[in-house]
Amino acid sequence: MSGAPDIAAEAGPVEPEPVVACLANGRPSLTHSIAFHQPGGRLCLSLDELDRQARRVALHLTRLGVRPGDRIGILARNRLEWVLLDLAALKIKAVTAGFEAGKVETTPDLIDRYGLSLLFTDQQPGDRWRGDPRIQPITRLLADIEGIPDNPDLPPVTYDPDDVTTIKFTSGSTGQPKGLAARVGSIDGSLSAVQALFRHRPTDRLFVFLPLSLLQQRYWIYSALAFGHNVVVTTYEMAFHALRREEPTVVMGVPAFFEALRKDIESRMTGKGSGGSAQAARDRAALARTVLGSHIRYLWTGSAPASPGLLAFFESCGLPIFEGYGMNETCIVTKNTPAAHRTGSVGRPVPGKRVSLDKDGVIIVHSDQPVNSAYLFAAPGESERLFLPDGGVRTGDLGRIDADGYLYILGRVDDVVVLENGRNVLARPLEERLRTCPAVTDGVIVGAGCGALQAIVCASGGMADRGVIEQHIALMNRDAGRDERIGGLVIADEPFSIENGLLTSQYKPRRNAILARYGRAIAPTKGDES
Amino acid sequence: MTPVEAAVSHTLIRLLDVADLRPETLDLDGDLFERYGLTSLNLVLLMTSLCDETNTELSRITDEDLARLRTPRDVAALIELAGRKTPAATEA
Repeated sequence: MSGAPDIAAEAGPVEPEPVVACLANGRPSLTHSIAFHQPGGRLCLSLDELDRQARRVALHLTRLGVRPGDRIGILARNRLEWVLLDLAALKIKAVTAGFEAGKVETTPDLIDRYGLSLLFTDQQPGDRWRGDPRIQPITRLLADIEGIPDNPDLPPVTYDPDDVTTIKFTSGSTGQPKGLAARVGSIDGSLSAVQALFRHRPTDRLFVFLPLSLLQQRYWIYSALAFGHNVVVTTYEMAFHALRREEPTVVMGVPAFFEALRKDIESRMTGKGSGGSAQAARDRAALARTVLGSHIRYLWTGSAPASPGLLAFFESCGLPIFEGYGMNETCIVTKNTPAAHRTGSVGRPVPGKRVSLDKDGVIIVHSDQPVNSAYLFAAPGESERLFLPDGGVRTGDLGRIDADGYLYILGRVDDVVVLENGRNVLARPLEERLRTCPAVTDGVIVGAGCGALQAIVCASGGMADRGVIEQHIALMNRDAGRDERIGGLVIADEPFSIENGLLTSQYKPRRNAILARYGRAIAPTKGDES
Repeated sequence: MTPVEAAVSHTLIRLLDVADLRPETLDLDGDLFERYGLTSLNLVLLMTSLCDETNTELSRITDEDLARLRTPRDVAALIELAGRKTPAATEA
């Protein structure tokens, strides 16, 4: 261990509430609602009605032969039926496996690979699976339960903390996603901790648009059912549309989403006076409230680093934005909260989590209720690389802990770029500065075995922006130490995207994939040609 | 240029924030992604803004429709088509 102290939650211990058991057996609120913006339009139902429908789906699954412990796959965009299947599975102790729509193809191989009893999908039947009774169109689900009586009684189920409710898939940098079975203790502990810190209340309306295949997105539905508040679920494509209409109090998003909102708001400000004037600030804040709705209590972000400029923008609009830290293998670890917030940090550990740094500065997480102690599906050796024998998780992220226990993420271990001279350079701070260039929409810094760092960027104006970007890099280089100077620039021929494999599903650039595609094109910047 | 094409040009220029890009210099047949660097999030913002402006129901635009869009002219054609399918737009 390094000399850095271990840090644990200051909020003190929080006794986990039996959230999963409550979802499985409880009768939720009549007064709170869940609204969906999905293909076909908006629909809204009370949480009580949602639970009644989930009971019917549970009975339907049982009639299809699903038994406790069986796995059912769900491969669909966010929609009511997704939520019904997930809740129904909890009610009969079936295990869900959520696959990200658009990333995974519906095939019999998928069923075999993950040992699924059934797979519900919104994809059109393909020749390879047409007629396979294990594959069920998710769009048919509501029609299939029409004959089942309303609000059926189901035998109560019990949950042990070591029981598993779902398989989470982690998008690795390469190859097949790794599968991790999530323990009930981890779900109960995380939701109880978040509720203790944020006190979501009956008047809250949480806004969810990231894929429900991510367990942490389903948490907000679980939270609504267990703690009594409202929730809105939509798709990524309808997120901006739904925001303005639903007046949420809390928006859950990744930094790329909030960045797009910021640019939208700023572009609408053109011609409304100087950016620094008090009137401009008031106009900007009013516009932000128009775009996000007028009831925002706070914005929640994580999964990828948020730039200081992004955080400052929303703070200046009077919209608190709380950055946090966690990964699939740990669930939520730290979070800035209304009571303990330090901009630039990812907050202090939530109740039930402890954070330390190893001798290399890598963040190690220990949990009272770990997600699990190994992957369920992964290549040999993958589990051992991450899960430590003492129950800790070696995250692969480099961190710093300040005197008050706030954690700062410095980058990934694999963000450390090694130059020809053997010097290690941390790429992330440089990438953040690179992205402050108005012409740069995204970018990474790589080493590529060269004597100097190389930048691979996406530019809003394409090659026409090369001069502007080179000027920006020249300014960066002027203030940088010798090993932190950028000596080469490539402008990507298309934006990094999930579709072209250059971003992860959580909008993080895939450095290795980007380098593999553009590494050969690296050319010196003007200042370094001599 | 049709009114919808003009709206597409105006909104696209605002979202792209590219220096010297004006309605008269925007190529309606230029590639949104390769030439103008549109991101998938910006495409969603573009469609949302245009649907709001034209009183078109966004939920009538499918993922497959979005996946087929390559140029500003494609966007305008899709908005016009979706607008014809939107009862609210017809009533307005």
